[in-house]
Amino acid sequence: MRVTLETKPRKKPNIPIEAESIIPHNFLRGTDLSVYEGNKQRSLDEIFFITVEGPAVSPDQVEVILKGDTGRIKRVGEYMNAGKIVVEGDIGMHCGNFMSAGQITVRGNADAWLGREMRGGEIVCHGNAGHYCGAGYRGEKRGMRGGRLEVLGNAGDFLAEYLCGGEVIIHGDTGDLPGVEMRGGKLVIEGSCTRPCGNMSGGTCLVFGQVHDLLPTFEKRERTQVDFRGMNVTMDTYHGDVANRGKGSLLVRSGDHA
Amino acid sequence: MKIEDVVCTFCGCLCDDLVVEVEGDMVVNVENGCTLANKKFMGNNRLKTPIKRDGGNWKKVGLDEAIQTAAGILLDADRPLLYGWSGTHGEAQTIGVHMAELLGAVIDNTSTVCHGPSIMAIQEVGHPGCTLGQVKNRADVIVYWGANPIEAHPRHMSRYTTYADGFFLKEAFRERKVIVVDIRKTETANIADEFIMVEPGADYALLSALRAIVRGKGDVLPRTVAGVEKEQLIRVADICMSAKFGAMFFGLGLTMSRGKYKNIRNAIELTEELNRHTKFTISPMRGHWNVYGSNEVFTWITGYPFAVDFARGIAFYNPGETTSVDILKRGECDACLVVGSDPGAHFPGDCCRHLADIPTIQIDPHVNATTHLSRLQIPVAVTGIDAEGTAYRMDGVPIRTRKVIDTTYPSDSEVLDKIYQIIRKET
Repeated sequence: MRVTLETKPRKKPNIPIEAESIIPHNFLRGTDLSVYEGNKQRSLDEIFFITVEGPAVSPDQVEVILKGDTGRIKRVGEYMNAGKIVVEGDIGMHCGNFMSAGQITVRGNADAWLGREMRGGEIVCHGNAGHYCGAGYRGEKRGMRGGRLEVLGNAGDFLAEYLCGGEVIIHGDTGDLPGVEMRGGKLVIEGSCTRPCGNMSGGTCLVFGQVHDLLPTFEKRERTQVDFRGMNVTMDTYHGDVANRGKGSLLVRSGDHA
Repeated sequence: MKIEDVVCTFCGCLCDDLVVEVEGDMVVNVENGCTLANKKFMGNNRLKTPIKRDGGNWKKVGLDEAIQTAAGILLDADRPLLYGWSGTHGEAQTIGVHMAELLGAVIDNTSTVCHGPSIMAIQEVGHPGCTLGQVKNRADVIVYWGANPIEAHPRHMSRYTTYADGFFLKEAFRERKVIVVDIRKTETANIADEFIMVEPGADYALLSALRAIVRGKGDVLPRTVAGVEKEQLIRVADICMSAKFGAMFFGLGLTMSRGKYKNIRNAIELTEELNRHTKFTISPMRGHWNVYGSNEVFTWITGYPFAVDFARGIAFYNPGETTSVDILKRGECDACLVVGSDPGAHFPGDCCRHLADIPTIQIDPHVNATTHLSRLQIPVAVTGIDAEGTAYRMDGVPIRTRKVIDTTYPSDSEVLDKIYQIIRKET
């Protein structure tokens, strides 16, 4: 089944829409779903032109396509457990919150908290991701716990905060404090970043670009060789964060940190 | 007539020893107050009646008409924002939260641009704090980090720290050691026993380094950290560890610089580490006189201290998403009520432009920068001068403020309650 949701013009286009109902599983029962526009509850067809093609008997046979002005639509794919969502443009905050299986593809940019506390499945964002990509909710001790989150562009600040499991791959640069408080999992930054892995207690972070303002509480260990896109790259290995009795590993391309 | 033991309603110190001299409905003299207190009690420039924008001009309107207009604007909105609250008393803040729930609005206070990050850090790792009374009577080491009390909280040092004799410190000025950490040599730094000049935006690294030293891992550190010699850091860590009772106070230099709440978390974790060696506490230097109260009131009603979004009928909180600056920057809200604050003077330009684009209502005694962005302003009594109410000091102690003069202005509570009653009938 392919469900296409194309946004209708809105009188107040800046007001956010909360649309946690947009997950493949829900469309097995039809399109009688609701979303919130600000403080008003709306039916799905008040916000979108809806097209449904083909049948499906299980959620993994459902593909949801979002088109139009989707940059203010939040919580798409929240608790998603199967199927596929393709966002043709940008997507709002909290896309893929708590998802456990399935695939989300964002062709544009994703706003903050992409893949928040994700448990499984895969998210690929072709543009840039905002702050707190793959992180946890406020006060939550565990961020992303499983799955794979790949951003082809850049990511904002506090990337993979409280990362506990799974893999986060950023092809571009990141903002400040990526991997802060990380406890497990794997974080790969192909571009540059600032102050990675503050207060980390576990897990592995690899930075192939330049590291700015490396924190003083990382203990330098031996060099190691890592395979990066078929090349053998020499990495400096750091252990830390010592301030936090941490046992994490930070690997930085040799000679590329200031 | 002289009135004693008056509570000052300017900063979070809430000094309660002012002597105010009153003639008729005017305050003519203030004793014991700092310059800021004197200006607040003896200031004028009060707006006389509600004003409403009429094309390019202002027109005076009656209180009833102003209240009807305000309620109508809020009822028509799909995403109203209720902002401010730190400059008013707890009773008014309570009405504001109930109003937000009825409207499905976002309610936020000035923590969003001051100590919101402190609260976020406390939510992550707790708060080893104490009252100012404990500091005054016990603390022999004081740390001011990213704070300049001589200019922002002028009586903090004379009432609670450097110059205040306490039960266990009979000669406070000689017995207390003062450490100041800042990016520049401030007035407070001039009287410090140790001044650490940190590079701008490098507080996080410095705090991490101090934690490592206190843990006995100083050998990992390089020769300088954030522009500070390792020897000085070791000396400062020794002063802190050998204190009988240490108290750290931090300001916006830490909460609003690079790293924000992670700086505070690091400072709290340093404090926890110091508690393995001695007794050490940490407290924010709260600015607006009742900003702590707004956090208390919001929390006891909604479970969250600021940036509470009722759009879905239940409270949701996520700084960065439901905070006023972010909502205004994204142009989300379609109406705004400002109470007891002046976002026009504090918020970024984009936010102010959006406030001017949407119907903004201000409830405030004075003409200020936000007046120029508003469509309606309702003047009210000033809590602590011509209205009474409850406020919280920066250390969380509730204090009842007094009314020292009689005027005809309604209080914030009275105006808000009238708006609330109309909204309640319509929803």
